Amino acid sequence: MSTDLGSAPSGSHGVKRRDFLKVVGATGAATTLVGCTSEKVGRLIPYVVQPDQTVPSVSNYFATVVREGSEAAGVLAEVREGRVIKVEGNPQHPGNRGAVNARQLAAVQGLYNPDRYRAPLKREGGKLVATTWADALGILSRQLGTARSQGAAGRAVFINQAELGSFPAFLDQWLAAFGMPAHVAYDADAQLATVAANRAAYNAAWPRLDFTAARLVVSFSGDFLDHYGNQVPQQLDWADARAKLEGAPRAIYVGPRRSLTGLNADEWIPVRPGTELAVAQLLRGQLPAAAAAEQTGVAQAVLERLAQEVTAAGNGLLAVAGCGMPNARELGDAVAALNQAAGAVGRTIRPDQAHPAPARVASFGEVRALVERMNAGQVPLVMVRHANPAFSSPAALGFADAFKKVPFKVSFSSVPDETSELCDLVLPDHHALESWGDAEAGPGQIALQQPAMDPVFDTRQTADALIALARADQTTAARFADRDYRAYLMARTPGGAATWTANLPKGVIAGSVQQGAAAAAPVARPAAAPAIPAQPANGEMFLVVYPHALIGGDGRGANKPWLQELPDPVSKVCWQSWVEIHPQTAKRMGVERGDELEVRTAQGSFKAPAFIYMGVRPDTVAIALGQGHPGYGRYAKGIGSNAYAVLGTAEDAAGGLVLTAGTARVSKTGNSMDLVSTEGSARQHGRGIGQAVLVGELGGLREATGAENAAVAPQGGSGDVQGTAREVTGPSATGGAAGGAAGGAAAKAAGDHGAAGGEHGAAAGGHGEAPAGGGHGGEGAVEIPGEPSKAFLPGLRSPVANDAQGNYGDPTSKDKGMYDPNHPSGAAKRRWAMTVDLARCTGCSACVTACYSENNLPTVGAPWQGRALAPGAWDTRPGANVVKGREMSWIRLERYYEGALNAENEFQPDFDTRFVPMMCQHCGNAPCEPVCPVYATYHSPDGLNVQVYNRCVGTRYCSNNCPYKVRYFNWFGYGEPDRRQYAWPEPMNWALNPDVTVRGKGVMEKCTFCVQRIREVEHVAKLQNRELNPDEFTTACAQACPSRAIQFGDAADPQWTVAQLANDRRAYHVFEQLNVFTAVVYLKKVSHPAPGSAPATA
Amino acid sequence: MTTRRKWTAIPGFLALAAAATVVSAYSGASSSQYNSPEQPVKFPHPRHAGAVNAKDPSKGGLGMNCVYCHYASNKGLDPGMPAVSSCMGCHTVVLGKADSSKREIAKLTAYWNKKLPVPWVRIHKVPDYVNFPHMRHTNVGVTCQTCHGQIQNQWQVAQAASLNMGWCINCHVNGYKPAEGHRLAGAPDSVVRAAEKLPVHKARYDCSSCHY
Repeated sequence: MSTDLGSAPSGSHGVKRRDFLKVVGATGAATTLVGCTSEKVGRLIPYVVQPDQTVPSVSNYFATVVREGSEAAGVLAEVREGRVIKVEGNPQHPGNRGAVNARQLAAVQGLYNPDRYRAPLKREGGKLVATTWADALGILSRQLGTARSQGAAGRAVFINQAELGSFPAFLDQWLAAFGMPAHVAYDADAQLATVAANRAAYNAAWPRLDFTAARLVVSFSGDFLDHYGNQVPQQLDWADARAKLEGAPRAIYVGPRRSLTGLNADEWIPVRPGTELAVAQLLRGQLPAAAAAEQTGVAQAVLERLAQEVTAAGNGLLAVAGCGMPNARELGDAVAALNQAAGAVGRTIRPDQAHPAPARVASFGEVRALVERMNAGQVPLVMVRHANPAFSSPAALGFADAFKKVPFKVSFSSVPDETSELCDLVLPDHHALESWGDAEAGPGQIALQQPAMDPVFDTRQTADALIALARADQTTAARFADRDYRAYLMARTPGGAATWTANLPKGVIAGSVQQGAAAAAPVARPAAAPAIPAQPANGEMFLVVYPHALIGGDGRGANKPWLQELPDPVSKVCWQSWVEIHPQTAKRMGVERGDELEVRTAQGSFKAPAFIYMGVRPDTVAIALGQGHPGYGRYAKGIGSNAYAVLGTAEDAAGGLVLTAGTARVSKTGNSMDLVSTEGSARQHGRGIGQAVLVGELGGLREATGAENAAVAPQGGSGDVQGTAREVTGPSATGGAAGGAAGGAAAKAAGDHGAAGGEHGAAAGGHGEAPAGGGHGGEGAVEIPGEPSKAFLPGLRSPVANDAQGNYGDPTSKDKGMYDPNHPSGAAKRRWAMTVDLARCTGCSACVTACYSENNLPTVGAPWQGRALAPGAWDTRPGANVVKGREMSWIRLERYYEGALNAENEFQPDFDTRFVPMMCQHCGNAPCEPVCPVYATYHSPDGLNVQVYNRCVGTRYCSNNCPYKVRYFNWFGYGEPDRRQYAWPEPMNWALNPDVTVRGKGVMEKCTFCVQRIREVEHVAKLQNRELNPDEFTTACAQACPSRAIQFGDAADPQWTVAQLANDRRAYHVFEQLNVFTAVVYLKKVSHPAPGSAPATA
Repeated sequence: MTTRRKWTAIPGFLALAAAATVVSAYSGASSSQYNSPEQPVKFPHPRHAGAVNAKDPSKGGLGMNCVYCHYASNKGLDPGMPAVSSCMGCHTVVLGKADSSKREIAKLTAYWNKKLPVPWVRIHKVPDYVNFPHMRHTNVGVTCQTCHGQIQNQWQVAQAASLNMGWCINCHVNGYKPAEGHRLAGAPDSVVRAAEKLPVHKARYDCSSCHY
């Protein structure tokens, strides 16, 4: 060191401060040198043997089937380099027709669930330990042999899920070969009463509900948009019908609780639980109106009007009956008779186009009989596959205790659940996406199921394991010539393997599946289910129990974080259970939102926070079935409360379990908690976000003219964008208030803009006649430096803000760079836009899950993702991040009520609901773009509001400025594998889309209009040396939507559908008055009030 | 601090600041240009992709097309590496002449026999937040050598260009000159001269082309 230490003697006082700082400074600088190397060495790992048809970074699509419930959805599995990354609807499947709902999308999270069984397990020393397949099959083989030699095989039981396809019949063959009885097809969600009534009346379990042929839809607690029947085809038909606007059917929902289907109906008749039958009988003329009013608790006048409407509808009536109540079978019969009397069968009820249904489903009586036999020690061996009766049956049934008494229990489940955890041997099945199979798809059609990838873990398709067992056993080997299930299926298809191979790309062939054993003899129910009392006893309320719309009444969706994070469409609650209670009742009881309530029946108790909801009768509370798992993996365990605790074991006349059986005692526990909800406000407060128009006023609306929404006019042929704008003073200014630059440019559309120039001009001419009135910025077109440029790009009337164009936004510059439509890259020729039709949207939220899947959105509500409270202490409440408003859904469904403003003081069932999908509006004049200090967000020449993740420093000013609040910040490292809050525990990260960046901590993100899909299709078109075809592709949300509510495309090209829809008479922008010029156009919902009535609002 | 020593403080800080600035220029966004790592198998590009020596075919290369091995370079975003099976297509019978060749081919065969992939050391990489579409560039006519240098003459591949964003944007804005691309590829003068007549190809360079 230097000598300027002064007079202090050196060396004797240790290190002086200055010396220390000098050393630290110098070495600090030096270490930066040492520390700077280029990126860590990576490797390029090739294939050893090139697989067929696999090009890196190009996706393959396999048509197959996913089974989330007893249905079999026809899907395309998108596979990238041997891994499934997404599930999309198969357009060729007659049921799905290209659409897919949230549960089907979440199949990928079942495939890659981190809690999945990774190998066979056997019980040793009280625990399940891993073993080999040889060992496990050997154990089962010996058990089967023992059962046979003891003559006990006839008492063994196989519980399988109720499913479509050939497997149930195959299974029964296999069981017969081993001397065992036919299997029990267990489905906790089975709507047995409805199916039985439908079969009796129409000879079809689920006839197609042809809403497009209907004039009046009356649903008696039949939730055809939730989870009842076949949701996707029903929703497709419903939305097509409502999109007919003037010709759309009016819908009335009769039931004690307004489900999602009820919220989509135009009117709600709030009858007491179990009294839907009285209304049906009234409509059939079997019950006088006064008596019906007495039973239902609804005003007689309302019922009489309903009867008139039904009569007036004639054979345009479509009546649907639900189940869950004690008289469900009688209700189904009455409603079917109603349809028949109206002449609707064959018109609106189409048994000839019936949706597929499992041939056999066990009645609750069968399950009860099984429990009795297990309790009596009569069952030597039980095997369970994809059924979880230890959870999904009423606690009062005591299934788990009876199950434990069976000496040997085998599970074929893929994931640990409450039933498999009790078993002695686990032979994990493949996931549906790894399996061969088939399933009925429609009348005379079969959907083909094929593996979309190699198995993730050491699992085996159950059918193959069963065949292996049979072939190893001399007494059964002769009957099983096929060496595996794939060979078995193909041998039974006309044309064999050749037909399969030829049709796999389509995924559907003509044919029928193997027919299995006849249904078991019905087990007589011990007693008729007791009727629901006419009035609740003192201090009690009616209790409606319904299956959770997303998780399922059997709880099978609970281990999928996408389904846990997806807010329930009605309550907007996620990661939690809730009790629905009417505001009037809540006020009377002093219950506030989030106060914990206890719902107690004779069987048990259910505790959950209160959700104040206008859609339930004041004398009723409603709870959802499916949450509250004590096990079933990290995403399900301990989340919510188990409603099976309060269920009794009564059966309806068809042998189905009665869910809504009677009354319960509802009381406050004194606890209070945050409701994990994504709902901001349930009211629009006049903001005009979700707008509607009465059907009678539709004719008064006029189409947007070119002046308002110049979906066609590109800039004039001069190519000088700025110049065109300046010339506008003439026609539009004299034309009156509106239009401004837009109108002028439209009227002038001389367009030598690409091949479609002529069409542009003609179309613009047609539109541009009379510039619309209505205050769309009527000033002339003088450019003021610094103001957003009015020289907007082709497409929706939307100037691109000056700032967003960077240097190119300089009004005095002639060089527009890429923002010039004539730039060789052609970037500015396109104007990506979207329309959302609120008349079609039902609020099902499939779009939300599709976006999660496509864009690598993290789920944030898992218990280990909460924030740190203190060093080493974390907030482990499920959904803690959602409570703080930190959910990441780029598209969300907002649910607003209109009407019933005095619900706290009186019961007002007449309220309208608006579902508004809200995503980044890609504003032309975006408030978020100018405020980013690092230019991480800007407006692209093709109309997107772009977010560049690697530039973002996390100021969050952009989110602050966004009026729609559609920007989401990564508060935690959801995308960083070494952080606690990582959202994709291995192998969940196999489903990440490689085309979309996984965002790290501190980065802002938002809807990108699926820019990766835009670029992908542009690449493909360029490789084929052509332009894009109209409607060639779409965004993930639009693709999934079973209502076809979302349209996406190039609004600058009139051949694209979105360009036409943007000019629809019902079109509007949300917060139009802010002048942000959104690229998302909403089409108003159409309300169908009762004929002859004068509603206060649309 | 006494007056005597004040004069050292300011120059001291300035020196530190200068050092930090200079050092930071080499940190983080450092380029891996000229990086030439050793590969597990010494694959000789000149022997395979090098020009054919018409006079003496045993000297010189086989003139293989780049796309024969890097098969996805004109099909996908990712150019892909050849599978070991592609190599073995020839090398089950081609066992090498010189001792060095024999050694390397034996190494390759060892990987194949153990059903293991050859763990090539990656040279060209853009960060994960860049979606670089390789096939767009190949298909528009950019010669491989424009970005990768004359790999057909490199016994050990080195990264020829910096692959920094500035380098990419430069070409997008100024345009790709086919003549230059052919010259870099080592094409004969006549071909280069003919290519001068072709138009310069400019491309889009807004952020959302690559960053999404």
